Amino acid sequence: MKFLNKIIWFYYREYKLNLSGFQDILTNIIFFFVSIFIFIFSIGPDKKMISPIGIGIIWTLLLLSSTLSLRKFYQDDFENGNLLIIHLNGFSFGFIAILKTLSHFLFVQLPFLFSIPIACILLNISSDKLINLLTSFAVGSLILSCLGSISSSMNLMNQRNFLLGSVIVMIFSVPVIIFSVGVINLEENFNSLINILFGILLIVFAINPWASGLCLKLSLENN
Amino acid sequence: MILVKDLSFERSNRKIFENINLSLTPGKIILLRGKNGSGKTTLLKSIINIIEPSSGSIYWKSKPLKKNLYDFYNNVTYIADRTSSLSKLTVQENINIWKKIFLSKIDKSQIENILKTLRLDVYLNKRANSLSFGETKKLELLRLIIEDKKIWILDEPLSNLDDETIDIIEQTFQDHRSKEGSIIFSSHQNSGIGLSEEIIL
Amino acid sequence: MFLINPNKFNKVGDYLFKPLLILSIILFALGLLFSFYLSPDDYQQGSTVRIMYVHVPSAWLALLTYAIMTLYSILALAFRIPFGFIFNTAVAPIGAVFTLICIISGSLWGKPMWGTWWVWDARLTSVAILFIIYLTIIFMNLSFENRIVREKVVAIFILVGSVNLPIVKFSVDWWNTLHQPATISKLSKPSIDPSMLTPLIIMTIAFMMIGIAIAILRIKTEIISRKSNLS
Repeated sequence: MKFLNKIIWFYYREYKLNLSGFQDILTNIIFFFVSIFIFIFSIGPDKKMISPIGIGIIWTLLLLSSTLSLRKFYQDDFENGNLLIIHLNGFSFGFIAILKTLSHFLFVQLPFLFSIPIACILLNISSDKLINLLTSFAVGSLILSCLGSISSSMNLMNQRNFLLGSVIVMIFSVPVIIFSVGVINLEENFNSLINILFGILLIVFAINPWASGLCLKLSLENN
Repeated sequence: MILVKDLSFERSNRKIFENINLSLTPGKIILLRGKNGSGKTTLLKSIINIIEPSSGSIYWKSKPLKKNLYDFYNNVTYIADRTSSLSKLTVQENINIWKKIFLSKIDKSQIENILKTLRLDVYLNKRANSLSFGETKKLELLRLIIEDKKIWILDEPLSNLDDETIDIIEQTFQDHRSKEGSIIFSSHQNSGIGLSEEIIL
Repeated sequence: MFLINPNKFNKVGDYLFKPLLILSIILFALGLLFSFYLSPDDYQQGSTVRIMYVHVPSAWLALLTYAIMTLYSILALAFRIPFGFIFNTAVAPIGAVFTLICIISGSLWGKPMWGTWWVWDARLTSVAILFIIYLTIIFMNLSFENRIVREKVVAIFILVGSVNLPIVKFSVDWWNTLHQPATISKLSKPSIDPSMLTPLIIMTIAFMMIGIAIAILRIKTEIISRKSNLS
């Protein structure tokens, strides 16, 4: 019971850090939409050209914005010692990784989920694919959160080269994107193809606590 | 309760500390004294199992520490050499978060008393990053009180504080000792309070 | 033994280096002779098929290097053998060069043959990712300052990246795209003619030997720099 309480209050703390003002969520969503505008301006507002690549644009923007918020993942808590305090409060490092991944998914990725329907209108994607898009997006963004956790925990002690974390996430997201976009475009087999995405999710979700926990412990040891 | 036997740590073929023995029982205050770089932080971090020592062993309640970590962490508060208050939030919000995540049973009046003694009550609605360094250190000690654990392991808690504050804090240490708590802290100066043991690195 | 202990490796490496170098030069000469003069033209592709004798060995060796790096990472992390970290740092650039040779030779083969320098099919994409993984390993080794953190993080990254290896190997079986499927597999008689198989094997062994020779040099350098605490 105490353990469950500690988890709940951990998420309360994360909520206070990430979402305590309207401005936090809104800035993320506005960033998303402004990037869509930039895509449209650079490609040209021709509807016939935007429609087939619309889903690809949404996925790319999702990936890029995940890599931008990687810094917030562990770096702040690591630098002001809160990571150690959370560990001493009774969570093992692997468990901290899982909690942080889910909190990243809840507070950073889910707002995008709510902006996708509007993005579909802007990019002229037909709305009968919407449910499929939202499902594959939900699974894919959890995969991206796990990958972000692994790469940002590896990058904690790297003072010189912050971009390397983003590179790591992007390398491993290539198969995710290939499958996610492919799944949408092949409607007939959606139910069987979404299982491939679920499979990737399970693999990454299992590797995440091991890899992130080990890197977190390593960085705390050598700080 | 904590027993440290023959702890040594070396890095890059340099011995940081060698054959440290200490035993912490309720009511004891231990001071680790040494110059900067003498290994005080490394020793404290080895005791809380963040750094692996090169040799030696640590026991908690007569069992090896590694097999008993959850119980150990339930009884220990650690203050590092950096302050952990969340800078974007105000002092009051920090206190609320601490009370909740540590499942603290301390009542409000006790916290208000300590805020008054540490002279932080005027800062309740200021953001933590606008406080001076000494004041953030005092806020850190407030976390200590909120966590309400028996054993305090503190890394340089008194550095950069004025004499008046040091007196207040040493008084807090005495209060904690009288309630059967125990403290290990490090400092590079000598301390005025009655110490049970002093280890010099 | 010499694969795990740095001192024994130094002794065996000294012993093996010059013979390996000479043998590899001989084999290269022999292999190129076979490739250019003594092997037949392909009935579909004509003379350009001879790029295969550079492209395929470097591809095999790029994958083999990564597989051995994965093994050494497991040894280093799970069994605490520090030689594994030394091996990773030393051999990563060698694997990167093999992958680069594979990609460039593949490109040069592709243009006259299939009309394009590059296409986004499964095998090319996953080999490109393998190349970027190698580059990331090299950059990680250059950017972290604390050696203990650096070697362990690189080992973890190699393990996580080893997921790419089966994708590269089996991608031509799973997806039916432009790159041709595997011709040589251990479980069945290879469907390639012996007159083409011979130069292929010779070139593979030649590449492997020069790779091992360079690896010996780099591992010795890494051992020396660790002993004198330069890294």
